Amino acid sequence: MTISCQKKIVKSVGNAANNIEFANGLEIYNYEGFTVMKITKPWPDAAKTYTYVCGKNTHKIPDSLQQHPFIKVPVENLVATSTTHVSSLIALNEAEKLIGFPNLDYVSSEKVRQMISEGKIMELSDKESLNFEKTIDLEPQIIIGLSMDSETSKFNQFEKAGIPVVYNADWVETSPLGKAEWIKFFGVLLDQQQNANSYFKTIVTEYEQAKLLVKQKTQKPTVLSGAIFQDVWYVPQGDSWMAQFINDAGGNYLWSNSKGTGSLSLSFETVFEKAMNADVWIGPGEFYTFEQMIAANKHYGNFKSFKNKKIYSYSIKKGPTGGLIFYEDASNRPDLVLKDLISIFHPEVLPDYQPAFIEVLK
Amino acid sequence: MFTKYSSYHFFFIIVLLIAALCNLIIGSVHIPANEVLAILSNNFSGKASWEYIIMEYRLPKLVIACLVGMSLSVAGMMMQTLFQNPMAEPYVLGVSSGASLGVALCILGKSLFAPWLQVYFSGSIAVVVFALGGSILTMFVILGISQRIKQIATLLIVGLMFSSFTAAFVNVLAYFSTAEELKKFTFWNLGSLGNISWQQIGFITPLLLITLAGSFLLNKPLNALLMGEGYAKSMGIHIQKVKFLIILVTCMLVAVCTAFVGPIAFLGLAVPHITRMVYKTTNHFQLFIGNIILGALILVLCDIICQLPGEQFILPVNAVTSILGAPLVIYLILRNRA
Repeated sequence: MTISCQKKIVKSVGNAANNIEFANGLEIYNYEGFTVMKITKPWPDAAKTYTYVCGKNTHKIPDSLQQHPFIKVPVENLVATSTTHVSSLIALNEAEKLIGFPNLDYVSSEKVRQMISEGKIMELSDKESLNFEKTIDLEPQIIIGLSMDSETSKFNQFEKAGIPVVYNADWVETSPLGKAEWIKFFGVLLDQQQNANSYFKTIVTEYEQAKLLVKQKTQKPTVLSGAIFQDVWYVPQGDSWMAQFINDAGGNYLWSNSKGTGSLSLSFETVFEKAMNADVWIGPGEFYTFEQMIAANKHYGNFKSFKNKKIYSYSIKKGPTGGLIFYEDASNRPDLVLKDLISIFHPEVLPDYQPAFIEVLK
Repeated sequence: MFTKYSSYHFFFIIVLLIAALCNLIIGSVHIPANEVLAILSNNFSGKASWEYIIMEYRLPKLVIACLVGMSLSVAGMMMQTLFQNPMAEPYVLGVSSGASLGVALCILGKSLFAPWLQVYFSGSIAVVVFALGGSILTMFVILGISQRIKQIATLLIVGLMFSSFTAAFVNVLAYFSTAEELKKFTFWNLGSLGNISWQQIGFITPLLLITLAGSFLLNKPLNALLMGEGYAKSMGIHIQKVKFLIILVTCMLVAVCTAFVGPIAFLGLAVPHITRMVYKTTNHFQLFIGNIILGALILVLCDIICQLPGEQFILPVNAVTSILGAPLVIYLILRNRA
């Protein structure tokens, strides 16, 4: 009787370089025969890192990594939980891998809407989360998860049932290029790393070139963002995603000195005193007409940007079923968001440009 | 005796005027007192934003605080006498629950209606209309029931049941709502004295003043009711008619206040007690005036406290009235027991 055994090649995980440049919550290490992907910030203030080992097979995975979930790539099918995931799948030409999604109406992309009408993608919504029974019945290979905080019980139940959950935290990133770099996350799962890398490289080049167009501008329009909820006004903080875009596009965001990546809650008086004469207003919350704004709160009418009709929203462009295009595609295409803003702040720099996401209020 | 109450009224009116001035001076944006006075006397030539903040934000807020403070306090006084219960307050009849249901339908239930109808559900006017609609509907139900019952205390139970029913309905609507809609509704429930326009004040003021004048005429029957229904009947008071009018007036005051500023907790419960403690009388004529002045004064003071955190944020008014009102009520109960 002969006993055969396979010799495993053990490699230290410290040897490979992290393939990630801008994103703070994602790390990708490529080894021979497998890739280690770490989600270091699955939600804000996370104390936990999720490590996934991805490969075509388990032959070359060392013992030290056996404790982590193994994902066989390329993934055959998946359930996603955010429209940003859908956008990444489209960018890598892998939309057919999507077999289930909660709240299908939020999805706007033409290709996926076509798949939905053909019955290829199942509606999995159960109000705030995935319907357990329907998702299990679908038998996806993986679920791309999204959690606001460490309360992940609704995803843990799928893991107990044998479906791995891979947490995507693109929404936690605060820098424009950091968010877009999460295309590489899908590159790993779909065995399309090369495509994902070159896609991202193009985005970076476009973004940096656009930024250069306005770098020397000394005349910057003053910019307000946010809207009032009863007596509380939420404005993005200085290090937030939107604030960075505004500054990179040559705008003078009035709260760019504030620290933090979330929003400030301010009183109406404070915002009014500082921003009454702001030249431009970007992102006034849910509104898409001037009439709606004045009906909600008459104080809006006294802002200079309201009187001059220079209020721009990214909530106007919607897909055929009411999904917001901005929420779906903007995190993958920061170059377009930047150019949209440049065309508003310094129109002479991009004279024939048609905005991809932003529109002036009706 | 008359002079004693007059001097109290005069004193508290002076305090109210001082509080009103402080209310206009204190806010998230620091505007020096002399500039505030210059703006009020039309002698100002400084920052346009300051003039706007004083004339279009703080001054309407002050006016509405006075009107709502007066109305809820008088309504509370009438409820406590009608039900012979010191824990009664303007919301026991369930009118504010009706307003809450209307607003829930407007904010949380919008998506249940056809898209062409949904346009009527947006804007601040829509919230007011739905709140008024909900409270007036509740008022008719309560008035109808009040005519059919013998014991007035039964109405308290009806009010409680109505509150439970509307709360259950609101919970169902909330279950199917988005986070944004829930936040809007929660904020409405926290009450807000800001964001009232002069046009809205023009609508609210005559309504409330006429209703308050009507409640003034009820002071004599209220005095009689204090001695018991038998005594009141012997004084020629038509009990059923008086109860009907007291409920009608209270419902109107609560409906109008709640529709425009949301529910304001504890004011209608605590202020009548404070007035009785200060004036040491059970004469509703004096208590009426006392409640008007002290109700306005206390809500204005609460609003000043709301502004104190500074430029970062303002406290919701219900938080302040509850934090002050709840311990006060406990103190009053213990003091009475002693």
